[in-house]
Amino acid sequence: MGGTQDNPDINDAKNTSSEYTSIAILERIRKRGRVWGDLCAQYGVENPDPPWKVCLEGTCEALAVQACALPTLERRWAEDELSETLYQGVPFPERQLLALAHTLIQRGLFGEDELARRIEKVGERLNSV
Amino acid sequence: MAKRDQGEHKAAPMVEEVSDFEILELAVRELAIEKGLFTADDHRHFTEFAHSIGPLPAARLVAKAWLDPQFKKLALEDGVAASKEVGIDWLNPTGFGTPSDYTDLRVLEDTPTVKHVVVCTLCSCYPRPILGHSPEWYRTPNYRRRIVRWPRQVLSEFGLQLPENVEIRVEDSNQKCRFMVMPMRPEGTEGWSEEELAAIVTRDCLIGVAVPHPERKQNAARPVHKAVHPVQHDH
Repeated sequence: MGGTQDNPDINDAKNTSSEYTSIAILERIRKRGRVWGDLCAQYGVENPDPPWKVCLEGTCEALAVQACALPTLERRWAEDELSETLYQGVPFPERQLLALAHTLIQRGLFGEDELARRIEKVGERLNSV
Repeated sequence: MAKRDQGEHKAAPMVEEVSDFEILELAVRELAIEKGLFTADDHRHFTEFAHSIGPLPAARLVAKAWLDPQFKKLALEDGVAASKEVGIDWLNPTGFGTPSDYTDLRVLEDTPTVKHVVVCTLCSCYPRPILGHSPEWYRTPNYRRRIVRWPRQVLSEFGLQLPENVEIRVEDSNQKCRFMVMPMRPEGTEGWSEEELAAIVTRDCLIGVAVPHPERKQNAARPVHKAVHPVQHDH
């Protein structure tokens, strides 16, 4: 399973759908983020899924209930579209995560700046030990 | 920590860095909780559910269909309705919310001349509510790429040798439709109860890479091996 770093065509691809415009913070992660397959190869790990995958599934499920902030089918349709456009070439489940974050921002459930600030905070916390 | 008699224990390799994707997952989750879209406990509950599901409902569906022709007809015509009869509501499988992968479910009936097998060539789509989590091999490129090209060869690697006159149909799962296989009832199970039959319909039979056998039960007792150096009790 390869990352996105090796393919300049994919890295430079502009969104082909007028409905979806790229989001800077997610673009940065798409280009620079190390996908699970690359990390497994480097560290000799054989687990096929990143540990955060089950947490992502939990988030998707939880969003579909309670306030029903993001109904399942709508999320999957958006994911289909984004997987064929902006996040084409990103492996699963990384593209599922990017698509979810993209959809939540696009729907105004939180802002791009807000997410960028939170990413910085979480990064500091996780890398502090 | 005490050393073992024969060599030291070596820890399994771990990914020793935090990836941008791991950070993004947590950031999205925390913001959603802060915005009141769900609570941390809701999230934990769903994650716990994801770890607890298994293939028993699908095994019961097959066993019930083997015994009841009317139910079999329903299963083949409407997999979602048949699932409900064995306790899985695809619109609400967790009992506390909708699934992330609500889709249509189709039950594929094996016959003496047709063998079905399920794959997801794109990623890892799988009928989780009724079959639990997919095995690791199901998600490997080795299986996903080769089963569609060389199904007979791949099935033989699982130990399933099929005669030439049996056609193999590979169904590719997707985000809108999931599949499970209804294998043929094996000989030697005449007079068995639904519970007894369900015990031989293992996960791999439901994916299609194996067929049920009267002596292979998924919940059969594991063999117990005698200790090489048993502890001696003098009292």
